[in-house]
Amino acid sequence: MASAHTLRIKNIYKRSLRLLESWYDHRFQYRYQAVLMRDRFDKNRNIKDPREIERVVEEAEKELFLKQHPQPRKFANSPGGVAYEREVVPPDWIVDYWHPLEKAQYPEYFARREERKKEYLAMWDKKYGKSSSEEHH
Amino acid sequence: MLANVTRCALARGIQSIRLLPVRAMSITTRNSSENQQKFVTSKIAALQLPQIRNYSAKEPLTLKFIEERITLVLNLYDKIDPEKLKRDSHFMKDLGLDSLDHVEIIMAIEDEFGFEIPDMDAERLYTVKDIVRYIGDKEDIYE
Repeated sequence: MASAHTLRIKNIYKRSLRLLESWYDHRFQYRYQAVLMRDRFDKNRNIKDPREIERVVEEAEKELFLKQHPQPRKFANSPGGVAYEREVVPPDWIVDYWHPLEKAQYPEYFARREERKKEYLAMWDKKYGKSSSEEHH
Repeated sequence: MLANVTRCALARGIQSIRLLPVRAMSITTRNSSENQQKFVTSKIAALQLPQIRNYSAKEPLTLKFIEERITLVLNLYDKIDPEKLKRDSHFMKDLGLDSLDHVEIIMAIEDEFGFEIPDMDAERLYTVKDIVRYIGDKEDIYE
């Protein structure tokens, strides 16, 4: 486990790279800037004086604040991303709540589904033991 | 150079590698005869990757596939020797990387799988095995 200081620096490094990624659209431009950024971090690597470290870190935080991007890049499928929740996967139990008339239109499927449920319960009991009928909540 | 391009493509999705040939075409064909142009375009057509999945859900994952993708990303990282990289090798102890390299690796994995890995989770991901397990848990893949 890394020390708290290492974690802090890693966090700053990651945020600065992501910030560069937001500012520089083209990958080659971003890579160039990222190498420069890595060099800046490497130059400060051997500072031992705690006060000097604190000063450098604070300067870095300030720079990150001043250079923040108005529309930072987000992962497409993560909250805030362009494709977040675009693909909705309905949960399996929805099918159990169909109206009986609807279910009747697919008799074969639902017969097999009931079979599978029984098999699943048997499998569960075999693996974890019989569940007691008592409820604990 | 090729490794860099491939790495870009890995990190940013296929889009960036598809942009490259088009740009190369506009430069090379400006001052060349028609035959050469045909030759170049055929070469470029061979280079272009077929686009298979447009506007669709993510490709189905398996643990094996996840591991292959992670190993590819790590092999393309210039500070890792592909021959030394094993399933259990620790990035810092066995491969001699430092903490900033670890950040870069985690970012490459994030880009590959398209979601953010929080810092505290990343602190536990120092081997290929752990990363495979973590991605599998996140994507609900157990076998």
